[in-house]
Amino acid sequence: MKLFVRIRPAILNGLRELQANKVRSLLSMSGIILGVASLVAMVTVVQGMVGNFRQFVDAMGGIEKITVSREQLPKEQEHLAELSEGITMRDVERIRKTVPLVDNISPEARVGYERLIIEGRQTNTYVTGVTADYLPVAKRWVDPGYGRFVSDLDVLNMNDVIVLGSAVVPELFGPNEDPVGKVIKIRGRRFTVIGVLNNIEGTGMQIRSANSRSSGGSWRWRNSGALIPVSTAQAKFIGNDRLSGLGLRIGDADRLRDAVEQTERTMLAAHKGLRDFAISTNEQTLEDFRKTEAAFKLSLGGVAGISLFVGGIGIMNVMLASINERIREIGVRKAVGARGSDLFLQFLSEAAVISVVGGLIGLAVSMGIVALMNYILMQALPTGAVATLDWVIMAQGLAFSVVIGLVAGVYPALRAASLDPIEALRHE
Amino acid sequence: MPALIAIRGLRKAYVMGDETVHALAGVDLDFQKGEFVAILGPSGSGKSTLMHILGFMDTPSEGSIVFDGQEVAKLEPDLRTWYRSNRVGFVFQSFNLLPRLTVLENVALPLLYRENSDPVANAAAAAVALERVGMSHRLDHRPSQLSGGERQRVAIARAIVGSPSIIFADEPTGNLDVKNVDRILDLLGSLIKEGITVVLVTHDLSVAERAHRVISMRAGLVHEDRVR
Repeated sequence: MKLFVRIRPAILNGLRELQANKVRSLLSMSGIILGVASLVAMVTVVQGMVGNFRQFVDAMGGIEKITVSREQLPKEQEHLAELSEGITMRDVERIRKTVPLVDNISPEARVGYERLIIEGRQTNTYVTGVTADYLPVAKRWVDPGYGRFVSDLDVLNMNDVIVLGSAVVPELFGPNEDPVGKVIKIRGRRFTVIGVLNNIEGTGMQIRSANSRSSGGSWRWRNSGALIPVSTAQAKFIGNDRLSGLGLRIGDADRLRDAVEQTERTMLAAHKGLRDFAISTNEQTLEDFRKTEAAFKLSLGGVAGISLFVGGIGIMNVMLASINERIREIGVRKAVGARGSDLFLQFLSEAAVISVVGGLIGLAVSMGIVALMNYILMQALPTGAVATLDWVIMAQGLAFSVVIGLVAGVYPALRAASLDPIEALRHE
Repeated sequence: MPALIAIRGLRKAYVMGDETVHALAGVDLDFQKGEFVAILGPSGSGKSTLMHILGFMDTPSEGSIVFDGQEVAKLEPDLRTWYRSNRVGFVFQSFNLLPRLTVLENVALPLLYRENSDPVANAAAAAVALERVGMSHRLDHRPSQLSGGERQRVAIARAIVGSPSIIFADEPTGNLDVKNVDRILDLLGSLIKEGITVVLVTHDLSVAERAHRVISMRAGLVHEDRVR
C-alpha cells in the first residue's frame, strides 16, 4: 500500500515524460514493439500449425489407430509367394481373439476408383468395402436424418447397399433431394443408398461455402468416397477373399507399442512367418511433427528474444539520455526532500511505462501480423488456416516486455538515485 | 531563548588534486528563530558551502551544528533527507521549477516525498502557499508561461509549503529586474513574521542590506557579523 502511494505519482510522471518526448520514446520502444509482436505472432502461428496438424493426425484416425496393410514379400521370402494368402477376414478373428488391447477391427477391401451413375448424372470416387466397425476405427458417424451405416446383417447377406461421403452427394443429387433410398449403378450393379457419412470440417478459419454440407473445403479428401459391405466388395467386385488392409483401434494410447507388437506376432504366426503385411501407426508422423514444432519454437523464440534484448538496450539508452537531460531536476527533487529510493522508483517506473506501452503496441502489431499470416497461409496451404490469438500468450508477451523494461531501467535509475544534489543543482 | 541553529568550529575541506581547499576554516555562528539574515561574500568565500551544510545537502569535516536542540553535524543521508523535507526550504537563483509540472504541482513537490503523503491534502497546502505569495491565479500554468518574478514567487511558495524552520535563498534576485528584486526581497523578509528564519546568500551588498543582520565571509571565515 505504502509502496503504491509512492509508485502512483512515479507512473503518472513516467506517462508525462512519455507524452513530452513522443518521438524519442517511440523510437526507444521500437525494439520492444518488434520483440513482443514477433514473439506473440510467432508463438501464435506455430501453435495454430500444431492445432492444424493435430486435426490432420486425428483425421488419419488419431494416435490410437494401427494400420495393417498388404505388403510385398521381402526378397528372402520371395520364393514362398505361393504360400501367401494375404490379409483376410480370418486375420480379423485371430487378432480379436489374441490381442485384447484392440477394441475394434475394421477390415477394408478397396474396390477402386469407380463410376457412380444415377439417371443422367455420374461421378467418380473411391469405393471401399467395410464392416460396421469402420465407424469407431475411423472416428466417423452418420448424422441423424442422414440414414444409417453398413450393418453386420448387410455384411452377412452381402447386401447391395452403399453409404456415400458427403462430398459425393451434391455430384449426384439436387440440393433438396434426399439421397437415402435412391439407387446408384456401379459397373452395372444396382446399389441402394442407405446413408451419408458425417461431414468433416476443419476448425479455425476454415473456408465455408454457403452449402457447408456439400463443400467439404480443405477436408474434401476425407469427405469423398463411398462405402459398401466388405463381403459384397469381395464377392461381386474383387473376386477373392483378400482384404487391402485392417484398421485397428486400441483403447489405451499409452499401450500402442504393446498392441503393435502383439498384432505383429499374431499376424506372423497366422501367416506362417511370411511378412506379407506391414504395420504402421501415426506415432512417427506425430513425433516428426513434434520435432519440427520444437525447432520452430526455438528459432523463432531466439529471434524474438534477441529483439527483446535489443529493445531492453534501447530503453536503457533512452533512460540514460533522459537522466542526463534532467540532472537539475534530480537535484531539485533531492533538495526538496526526495530520497535516493524515490528517484530510483521514479526512473524505474518510467522505464516500466515505456516498456508496457511498447508491449501494448507490440500486441496490437502482433494481431496485424497474425491476421496477415492467416491470410497468406490460407492461400498457400490446402489444409487452410491457422491461428487465433490466445490471451495467455499475449499476457506472457506483455509480462516479458515489463521484465525487460525493469531490468533495463535498473542501472539508469541507480545512477539517478546516487547523484549528489549539490553537483546536480550546479549542472548546466 | 536558545538559538535555532548553533554552529561551533565548523570546518569543511575538499581535496582537489594535490591541493586541500579549506572552504570553511572554523566558523562559529548562531541563527535565531525568525531572523532575516544575509550571508555576504565573494565567490570562494565559503558562503555556498555553509548554506549547503546548514541545508543538509552536505556534511562538515569538523565541528558541531545544533539544530533545534539536536546535534546534526554528522547525520546519515536518510536523516539529512528528513531534515531537508521537514525543516528546510530552498530558493534558487535560477528558480529550478520543473518544466513539465504545473505551478501547483511544483509547489506540492516537497510534500510528495513525505511520509503519509496524500495528493489531495498536498494540493490544498500548495494552494495555500501560492495564495501567500500572490500566485493563486496561475495554479495550472507551466513555469515557462510565467515571468521571472512570478517564477521566483512560485519557488518561494515551494520553499514554504512544508512549513520549514529555515529558508535558504541563494542569490534569489540574481535573474530578476529591479522592480521584481524589491518584491521578492519584501516577500522573503515578510516570512519572518511566521517564525521562519530567512537566510539570504548573496555577493550583492545592496541585496544583503535588506536583511536585518549581515554576515560577511572571507576565505572560509566570518569576517564581520553586524546587526543593523
